[in-house]
Amino acid sequence: MRARGGINLGLALITAATLLFLFIPIGFVVAHSFTDARAFFVWGGFTTRWYSSMWHNSQLTDSVVVSFKAAIGSTVIAVVLGSFAGIALARRPGKWVAVFMAVVLLILTTPEIVDAIGLQLWFVKLGGPFRTGLLPLWLGQSIFSSAVVTLIVRARMAGLDETLEQAAADLFATPRKAFMQITLPLVAPAILAGGLLAFTFSLDNVIIAQFVSSPGTSTYPVYVFGLARSVVKPEVGAMATILLGATLVSLVLVAIVLRRSGESASKIAATFTGTN
Amino acid sequence: MLNAIPSWLWYVGLFVVPVAFVVVASFGSKVPGSAGRVDFSHPSLGRYREALDQTLLTVLIQTLRTSIVGTALCLIISLPVAYYLATKVSESKRGLLLALLIVPFFTNFLIRTMAWRIVLAPKGFISNLLVDWGLRDSGLNLLDTRFALQIGVVYNYLPLMIFPLFVALDRLDPALREASKDLGANRWKTFVQVTLPLAMPGIVAGLVLVFVPLSGDYITAAILGGAKGNMAGALVAAQFLQAQNPALGAAVAVVLIAAILAILGAFAVIGKLTVSALRRHRSVAVVSR
Repeated sequence: MRARGGINLGLALITAATLLFLFIPIGFVVAHSFTDARAFFVWGGFTTRWYSSMWHNSQLTDSVVVSFKAAIGSTVIAVVLGSFAGIALARRPGKWVAVFMAVVLLILTTPEIVDAIGLQLWFVKLGGPFRTGLLPLWLGQSIFSSAVVTLIVRARMAGLDETLEQAAADLFATPRKAFMQITLPLVAPAILAGGLLAFTFSLDNVIIAQFVSSPGTSTYPVYVFGLARSVVKPEVGAMATILLGATLVSLVLVAIVLRRSGESASKIAATFTGTN
Repeated sequence: MLNAIPSWLWYVGLFVVPVAFVVVASFGSKVPGSAGRVDFSHPSLGRYREALDQTLLTVLIQTLRTSIVGTALCLIISLPVAYYLATKVSESKRGLLLALLIVPFFTNFLIRTMAWRIVLAPKGFISNLLVDWGLRDSGLNLLDTRFALQIGVVYNYLPLMIFPLFVALDRLDPALREASKDLGANRWKTFVQVTLPLAMPGIVAGLVLVFVPLSGDYITAAILGGAKGNMAGALVAAQFLQAQNPALGAAVAVVLIAAILAILGAFAVIGKLTVSALRRHRSVAVVSR
């Protein structure tokens, strides 16, 4: 019994240390957004001024606006494509499923730099709308996300009883009506979680954005990455802290929705991270 | 099937074609004086000859070493954490711990990488603390080293290992472990011969999910590794974004993919051999009893 207690204590300590390791840097980001120094990486006493001055840094605010526009567009694409494909994969099995899943897995396991240079070569060739405005960002950032949404929706569908949809058909619902009134509400929580994941991927994305974005559409990560080797102003940290707060709020909201739909904590974690 | 047609179009048009473009471009050459155009009129292996020089080989070996060490560290850290979460804690506590683990995963990648420049800063809080406590004579001198890069990649990719492992372990029926104990196996034997083999799909998923993006990542290296922590992805990016020689960049990318696939293949073979060795070991154990 003593050995068992020792092992459990050891496992608990490793878990606690891992959480500490994961949170220390985030804690420092939040703390340094209040630094009274010229550079984000240096501590120079406490101030809240970056939270007001950052709104006058138009390069920073513009990049955040571009990032949100890019994220909204690519998330909409990823959610629509991923939902339809995920439902089809779960409900219309056949030989095509294996091929489709192979492509999805290839997309998930291809290093981003390879996608990025391929898209750049291809978009340069296509020209026109593929080199201007937000379209290249929408398209480029939708690929990986739609593959992830596909997996999440497919997993949720696989766990749903198909007889519900058959009952709707027996009760004279048209396929369209059965889809809108039965299938869609049932997969909605998975779509919501997938959408949040897609949105986060887009806001995180540096590499693809670096290669495909057209002039004047520098995203927040690309802007920050450009600064990273010179002086990063604490304003960047203040913006990061606000975005972190927004992320936490949306995570909690989506978790509540998933919880209401009867998912266990384990299942929610699996859904959030696209690993089911 | 019909519902998946938009996805097919998307994946072919925005993944299959572009990746094919990379392969094709690697056989082309630079159009002199142009901004990033590729000349396909004389297909050749010339770019590969250019690419496979000492610089690339050095960086490639460094990249693979960083990735393999990083992936191994992620696995070593994740296994006890995932095992603890899946088997040792109550449902409500598990929910809280999982929520805590998800937060870093959703924190901006670039920001949490840059955060390590604060944590490891020579005159930073932690460095000063170590000096004050007499644990070090002088401040930390870790920024822009391979060590900082190694910490950064483990930090960035750890959640991608913990979650698939947790999901795999969480799905295991506890009755299987109990049965193993009832049949006389001790805890270690149960873990190695029952739990671990059954969690293999999750472990493989975690290894691939960490190793592949990590091998192509050059962002973490650019922020934390300095000149000593160059990654192969950076060479590809430089050919496209600075040197304006996409053909050469594409050739480097193809070499990188080939190296990643070779390592994955080697892992697969080693994994298969290990599993069959474990099986043989188990049957011997059963017979000897």
